[in-house]
Amino acid sequence: MPGRVGVCRRLLFALLLGVAAAALATPAFALGGSGLRPTVPDGVSENGHRIYDLYTYLISPFGIFVFVLVEALLLIIILRFRRSRQRPDYQPPQWHGNRWLEIGWTVIPFLILVVIGAFSFIELQRDFVRPADSVTDLDITVSAHQFGWTYYYPEGFKVNSEGLQATPLVIPTGKLVRMRMQSTDVIHSYWVPDLTGKTDTVPGYDNYMWYKVSQPGKWRGECAELCGTGHYTMQILVQAMTPDDYQAWVSDQVAKAKPSPSASPSSAAGAASPSPSASPGASASPSPSGSPSPSASPSP
Amino acid sequence: MATLAPPRPKNYDDTFFKPISLWLTTTDHKLIGIMYMTTGMLAFVIGGVFALVMRVQLSQPNEKVIDASTYNQLVSAHGTTMIFFFATIFMTGVANYFVPLMIGARDMAFPRLNLLGFWLLPFSIIAYFIGFFVPGGALSAGWTGYPPLTEKAFSTSLGTDLWAFSLIIWALSGIMASTNFLTTVVALRAPGMTLTRMPLFVWAQISTSVLLLAVGAPLAGGLVMLELDRQFGTNFFTTQGRPVLYQHLFWFFGHPEVYIMILPGFGIISEIIPVFARKPIFGYASMVAALFGILFLSVAVWAHHMFTVGMNVYVETFFMVMTMLIAVPTGIKFFNWIATAWGGSIDFQLPMKFAFGFMATFLIGGITGIYLSSVPVDTQLHQSYYVVAHLHYVLFGGTVMTIFAGVYYWFPKITGRMLNKTLGEWHFWTVFLGFNGTFLVMHTLGLEGMPRRIVTYPGGFGEEGWGATNTFITLTSFFVAISVLIFLYNLVISWKRGEVAGDDPWGGNTLEWATTSPPPPYNFERVPPVRSHMPLRDLRAEGRIGQGEATKQTVEAPAAGT
Ligand code: HEM
Ligand SMILES: [Cu+2]
Ligand SMILES: [Cu+2]
Repeated sequence: MPGRVGVCRRLLFALLLGVAAAALATPAFALGGSGLRPTVPDGVSENGHRIYDLYTYLISPFGIFVFVLVEALLLIIILRFRRSRQRPDYQPPQWHGNRWLEIGWTVIPFLILVVIGAFSFIELQRDFVRPADSVTDLDITVSAHQFGWTYYYPEGFKVNSEGLQATPLVIPTGKLVRMRMQSTDVIHSYWVPDLTGKTDTVPGYDNYMWYKVSQPGKWRGECAELCGTGHYTMQILVQAMTPDDYQAWVSDQVAKAKPSPSASPSSAAGAASPSPSASPGASASPSPSGSPSPSASPSP
Repeated sequence: MATLAPPRPKNYDDTFFKPISLWLTTTDHKLIGIMYMTTGMLAFVIGGVFALVMRVQLSQPNEKVIDASTYNQLVSAHGTTMIFFFATIFMTGVANYFVPLMIGARDMAFPRLNLLGFWLLPFSIIAYFIGFFVPGGALSAGWTGYPPLTEKAFSTSLGTDLWAFSLIIWALSGIMASTNFLTTVVALRAPGMTLTRMPLFVWAQISTSVLLLAVGAPLAGGLVMLELDRQFGTNFFTTQGRPVLYQHLFWFFGHPEVYIMILPGFGIISEIIPVFARKPIFGYASMVAALFGILFLSVAVWAHHMFTVGMNVYVETFFMVMTMLIAVPTGIKFFNWIATAWGGSIDFQLPMKFAFGFMATFLIGGITGIYLSSVPVDTQLHQSYYVVAHLHYVLFGGTVMTIFAGVYYWFPKITGRMLNKTLGEWHFWTVFLGFNGTFLVMHTLGLEGMPRRIVTYPGGFGEEGWGATNTFITLTSFFVAISVLIFLYNLVISWKRGEVAGDDPWGGNTLEWATTSPPPPYNFERVPPVRSHMPLRDLRAEGRIGQGEATKQTVEAPAAGT
C-alpha cells in the first residue's frame, strides 16, 4: 500500500517538525517576563513551589499526552480518510460501537483523574489550611480596601500601600509568615504570582494564607478580583529581608510610629481596624484574640 | 456556478421577506427560530465590537484609549452580551428551528408561549443597553456582578439595576423555552420516533432544557435578592451580609450555563460527523448517557469558581473531584466522534471542516479545564488571563465553532440556498488562525501573572514582555473580526443569490432533510417512516428517495398549524 506509507511518512515529518519547533522555542518561552511563560511561576515561597510541581510534573505530562494523542488522531483522520483520496467504491465500515473501546476510554481518563485528584488533595491539606500557631513565626494582617492594602504588624505599626507605586510588604526570610486576609469594603484578591497563589479578601470573615521564603528579594503582584475603577492600581510589592535586616526595619518602623501616636487615621476604614495591632512585641504568638473574628460585622 | 439569479426551486419560500406583521405575530417555530438566530448574531457583532475596543486599549502598557470606568463597563457588557444574548439565544434559535423538524413535528408544543418567550428578549436586551445611557453607566463589575461591588454603596448607577432586571427577564424567557422544548419532545414525536431513535441533537437539546429549567430560577432568585438589597436595604449580600452566598447562587446557574451553551453544539457535531463520514454515530447509547452524565455532574461543580474565597478544604475537594469527573463523559463524546470519523469516507465540506476545527480547539479548553480543577493550581490561575484563554477556548472554540458548523450545515435547509464555498474557506481559515493567535498566548500571559479585567498594566518588573504579547493578541483579534465580516457577507449574498440547495444537499440522516428547503409552515405533508435514528439513510438505502416517495412536494402552503 504505497499510498498509506506516503501518508504515514508525511505525518511523521509533520510531527517531527512540530517537536523541533517546540524544542527550539522552549528556551525562549522559559524566559520570565517574555509574556510567554509555559508554566506557573516556580514559587519562591514553599507552597508556591509545590503548586509549580503539581502544574509541571503532575498535570502537564497527562495534559500534553492527551493533547498530542487526540490531535494526532484528528490529523490522521484528516490525512487518511478523505473521500477524495479513496477508491470510488470504498465502503466505510458501519460500526455502531465497541464495548471494550468505550470502556477503555471511560476508565483510562478516570484513572488519570484519580491520580491528579489524589495529589492535589494531598497538597490541599498540606498548604491550604490555616497554619498552626506552633509553626507560625510571624502574624501579619492584610487589610484590603478600595484601592490599596494595609499591612498590620504585630509590633503595632502598619504599612499602607496605595497607588501604582506599591509600598512593599516586608517579611523576614526563613520564617513562616501567616497572613490574615481581610477587607473593609468589597472583595479583593491578594496575588503575588512569583511567591504563591492568590487568596481573596472578603468583608465579613478572615482568610489565611502564608509565605515562607528562603532568599531575600522583591516580587510584584496585584489585586486579582475586580473591585472598582481603581482595581488595576492595586499593585503589590513583597520584599523579603534577612532576619537581621528585618529586625532593623521593624525597629525603624516602630520608631517612626511612636512620635505621633494619633497618626493612625480615624477614617472610615479605621472603624474596621483589625485587632493584632493590640499586642506589640508578640511576634511569635498567634493573633491575640485567639480565634479569627469577623472584622466588619460582629453578628450575622 | 450560476451567475444570474438561479431558478427558484418549486415552492421556494423566501422566508426573510415576509411582512413585518407576520414576523411580529408568527407562531411558526421556524420563523421564531430565525428571529432568535438573527438576534443572537446581532449580539455577537455588538459583543465583538466591545472586545475589539478592549483589545485596542490593551495593546500597549499604560495605554489611555478608554478610562477604567469605560473599560469595566465594556468587559461586563462583552461577557453579558456574548453569554446571555449571543451564545444562549443563538443556540435556542437553532433548536427552535430544528427540534420540531428532526422529530417530525409540525410545530412546538406551545407555539404562543414560544412567541412570548422570544419577545421577552428584546426587552431584556434593550434594558441592559439602556444602562450605557444613564448617569454612571452600565454594569461595571464583570458579567458575574459580584456583590458587595454591585451593592448600592459601591455601584450607585441605575445600570446595575437594569442589568439585574434584564437577566431576570432573560431567565424567564429561558424557562419558557425549556418547558416548551421538553413538552415538544415528549408529546410531539412522529410515529416510530422512539426515544432511542431520536437524533443526538434532540437529546442534547433535552439535556440543555433540563439544565436551564433547573438553574434559571436560582439565577433570577439571586438577582432578586441583590435588587432587594439595592432597593430596600435587605443586607443579603452587603458587607453586613454574606457576599459569598451570591457567588454560590450565581455559579449554581453559571456553571450549568456553560453547558447550556455547549451541549447543543455537541449535538450539532454529533449530527454532522456521521453525515460527512458516511458512517453511523459510534456509541449512540454512550453519547446519550454522556449527555446526562454531564448534566448531573454540572450542577455539582459550581464552587470551582470559588476556590480562592476560602472554603473548607474538604468542600473544595468535593468540587474538585466532581469537576474532574466531568472530563470523563466529555472524553467519551470526543472519542466517539473520533471513532465515528475513523475509517470513514470523509467529505471535508465546510460543516465538517468546522467540526474538526471545533475538536482541535475545544480539546485545549478541556485540558486547561483539568489544570483549573486542581484547587492548588487554580489559586495561581484563577482570575488571570489563563482563565480568559480557557473560557474562550470553550466558548469560542466550542460554542462559536459549532454554531459556524451548524450554520454551514443547515443554511441550505433554512434558506434553500448553499453558502458560498470560497468565502466559507476564507472564513474558516481566518477564524481558525485568528482565534488561536488571539487566545493561545493569553494562557502564557496569565501564567506570567496578568490578571483579567484590568484596564491597563504598567511597564517595569519584567512586564515589558506583556506589551509585545498583548500587541500580538490585538493584531490577531482583528483577523477574527475580518473573518466574522466575511461570514456575515456570505450569509447575506448567499441568501440572496446562492446556489440552489435542493431538499437534501449533504445526504443527511435525519428528518429535516425529508422536507423541502425551506420547509413549508406545516413542515411535512407526510412524515417518512422512522425505523432507526437515521430514517433518511434507511430510505436512501431502500432506494425510496429521489422518486418523490418520501419527500412529497407541496405547492400550496396552508395557514400555519394551530
Ligand atoms: C473576537 C473575538 C473575541 C475577542 C477578541 C475577545 C476578547 C476578550 C477579552 C480581551 C476579554 C478579557 C477582558 C478582561 O478580562 O479584561 C474577554 C472576556 C470575556 N469574553 Fe471574549 N472575546 C471574543 C469573543 C468572545 C466570545 C465569542 C465569547 C462567548 C461566546 C466571549 C466571552 C467572554 C467572556 C464571558 C468574558 C469574561 C468577561 C468578564 O470578565 O466579565 N468572548 N474577551
Ligand atoms: Cu481589585
Ligand atoms: Cu464552572
